[in-house]
Amino acid sequence: MSTPSQTPVNDALRRAEIDLSLRHPVMFFFTSGAAWLAVAILLGIIASAKTHSPDFLSSCSFLTYGRVQSAHISALVYGWGCQAAFGALIWLMARLSRQECRAAGIILVAGHVWNFAISLGLISILAGEGTGMPWMEFPVFAWVPMLLAYAAIAIWSMVQFKLRPAGHVFISQWYILAALIWFPWVFASSHLMIHAFAGNPVMAAAINAWYRSGMLLLFFVPTGIAAAYYLVPKVTGRPVYSYSLSSLGFWSLAIIAPWAGMQKLAGAPIPNFLPYLGAAATILFAIPAIAVSVNLLKTASGAPETVANSPSLHFTLAGVIGLLVLGGAAVFLNNPAVLPGTQFSMANYGFDLLGLYGFFSFIAFGVIYFVVPRITRREWLSSRLIKMHFYFSIYGVALVVLVAVFGGAMQGIGLEAYKQPFEDAMTRANPYAVATTLAWCFLLFSNVFFFFHLTLMWLRLGRRSSHPTLLGAHHADDLHDATHGPEGDIDNGGPGTVIQNPHPHAH
Amino acid sequence: MHDPTKPDLEESVNVTEAHERVLRGAAAASRENRLTENGAEPVSMWVMALCFIPVMFAGWTAFGYGTPLFSYKDTVREGYVQVIPPDDDGAKAEPMTAVLAYSKKGAKIYSKCSGCHGPDGKGDGNAYPSLAGSAFAQGENERFAMIVLNGLTGPTSYGKTFGVMPAQGAGMSPEDLACVMTYVRNNFGNKVGDVVSKAQAAEAIKISAGRAKAGAAVTGDELNADHKKTLSGAAVKADDMVDPITLEAVAK
Repeated sequence: MSTPSQTPVNDALRRAEIDLSLRHPVMFFFTSGAAWLAVAILLGIIASAKTHSPDFLSSCSFLTYGRVQSAHISALVYGWGCQAAFGALIWLMARLSRQECRAAGIILVAGHVWNFAISLGLISILAGEGTGMPWMEFPVFAWVPMLLAYAAIAIWSMVQFKLRPAGHVFISQWYILAALIWFPWVFASSHLMIHAFAGNPVMAAAINAWYRSGMLLLFFVPTGIAAAYYLVPKVTGRPVYSYSLSSLGFWSLAIIAPWAGMQKLAGAPIPNFLPYLGAAATILFAIPAIAVSVNLLKTASGAPETVANSPSLHFTLAGVIGLLVLGGAAVFLNNPAVLPGTQFSMANYGFDLLGLYGFFSFIAFGVIYFVVPRITRREWLSSRLIKMHFYFSIYGVALVVLVAVFGGAMQGIGLEAYKQPFEDAMTRANPYAVATTLAWCFLLFSNVFFFFHLTLMWLRLGRRSSHPTLLGAHHADDLHDATHGPEGDIDNGGPGTVIQNPHPHAH
Repeated sequence: MHDPTKPDLEESVNVTEAHERVLRGAAAASRENRLTENGAEPVSMWVMALCFIPVMFAGWTAFGYGTPLFSYKDTVREGYVQVIPPDDDGAKAEPMTAVLAYSKKGAKIYSKCSGCHGPDGKGDGNAYPSLAGSAFAQGENERFAMIVLNGLTGPTSYGKTFGVMPAQGAGMSPEDLACVMTYVRNNFGNKVGDVVSKAQAAEAIKISAGRAKAGAAVTGDELNADHKKTLSGAAVKADDMVDPITLEAVAK
């Protein structure tokens, strides 16, 4: 599909133009997403602390556990998760369809509407107006503006896909398009069913459970996978390992994921097959998880040195491993032997976090470390800040997920021992609750480095250099003066760098 | 930008230089690799084997537990709700002496009484009499039962008139009455050492309902005239071993 006009220089120019056209909306989503992540983590620490120290901040009614926990998960999902996803989706689709964004202003306005809606929603939750339905806690007023804002953000990416140069559709584009279509389907149908139509309240709980699973498996998962399928071959310069695995991963997800979710209602008076079909589908989610992660890890394994050097790949591959773990956790937590015990324990929270943080957020960080230098035209200031962010995030998320999933299983065993007092189950869960608070503190600490670094980039204080900020050990000597880049290479970008490019035909 | 229809006439812009300027600013975008996806590796056996594990689990879940599939009538799965079976270990607690088992249950019921008579059973000596050392409480159990069930007005066993005690019998089961009486007779320093059995308490409730002035509070005179006796009905010895939950006798 190389046309005569696709010379390396023209190619690089095209990429630069696309990046330029998207710099304001993408940077807005990344920075405001990061700010919401900070809010979500602070609320997470408070909420987690309250599970083992109920008197902590108990004097403020708006900081009671029910409100803080709801606010925490809402900020994490809609403030950080969705906005990071939007930024990644619009940037990736523009790049892959080779189309400049012609609606940056509209997207930016829609982004502000989204932020305004979730800010009001969050304040309402803290004021006690939350709906009490997990992941749908915003009061009824919020969902229509959110959906409209989403439409104004996403429609341009679909147009870009339609206008793409004829030819092959890259794997990431499958997933981006899927995420763009599945999000409004899951979001609108669930909110309509619950808020607009009067139905059986037990069924509303089941729809809510389906929504929570749908947001994770039908929006965050395809978005994360799309970004990973872009970043891994892009940064390593290697072809994707197996096209068959790519197809298997995509179509199995598309067929399986919509069935998942209602296992939360096992034992509730809804048709018996619904929860167990939901559990079976969630278990089967391990198949796309295995296919995608094996495919990407095999792709990356051919370029170990690039993996060691690249900040984007560090985060992306950590997220891919998170996806594999998510698949394993889906099998472990949803099989009938374990399901009754984990249904009401903190294991569900652990599973959500594993998906949202251990998988999705890591890939979102990978995208941010890749995209921000391109749209700000500055390099990241310090590899040390990136390393701190990476390792503390790994420790934090591993701790929080291990603790919530394993502690949830322990709590579940306690709950299942129905001949024993209820208090026993809570006593079993208590040390894990303390560890969860600690893990959130870890994550706060790690993200302080990220927030600081991103703010500097946002202020256009990044390095002006043609040399990327790398993590590898043999660069450590060059990077001793991290703010100025190696060998005094300040502002020396130019055609020379293009000629050195080993792969002249850039996408 | 130059006019695309007349490319050769435009000489003011050096294309290479213009590109250099752009690329200098977009260094990151200019050093990217090409995306390739031509990998044609077949799906290996071990990946298939790995995928087979979730398939097995999913089949077990859907076909072992979700049956009948797509039936909207079956809402509750047989055996999902767990109940403690009657002959299960969980229901059995360590047997203890009757006086202890009755008193333990009675202590909970006494919370109704402690508002006036105090948690230590000493009353306040003014409006509420002490149960500790009370002749009515420690004396014949029928007399004591009538006070609990109907309330008391007029002088007490101390000879002094306190306030009117309201009736407590409403909604009280024989077991409740037996336990609370046993508790009062063996606590707060009272050491009667006997147990008011459930059968005796049931008898007391029957007598109370058959009183001439049924429903009115008893007086000391009525008590001493009609009720100064021990209740009939099967007695339980204080040191008999009973189940603390059912209060039934267990073999030693």
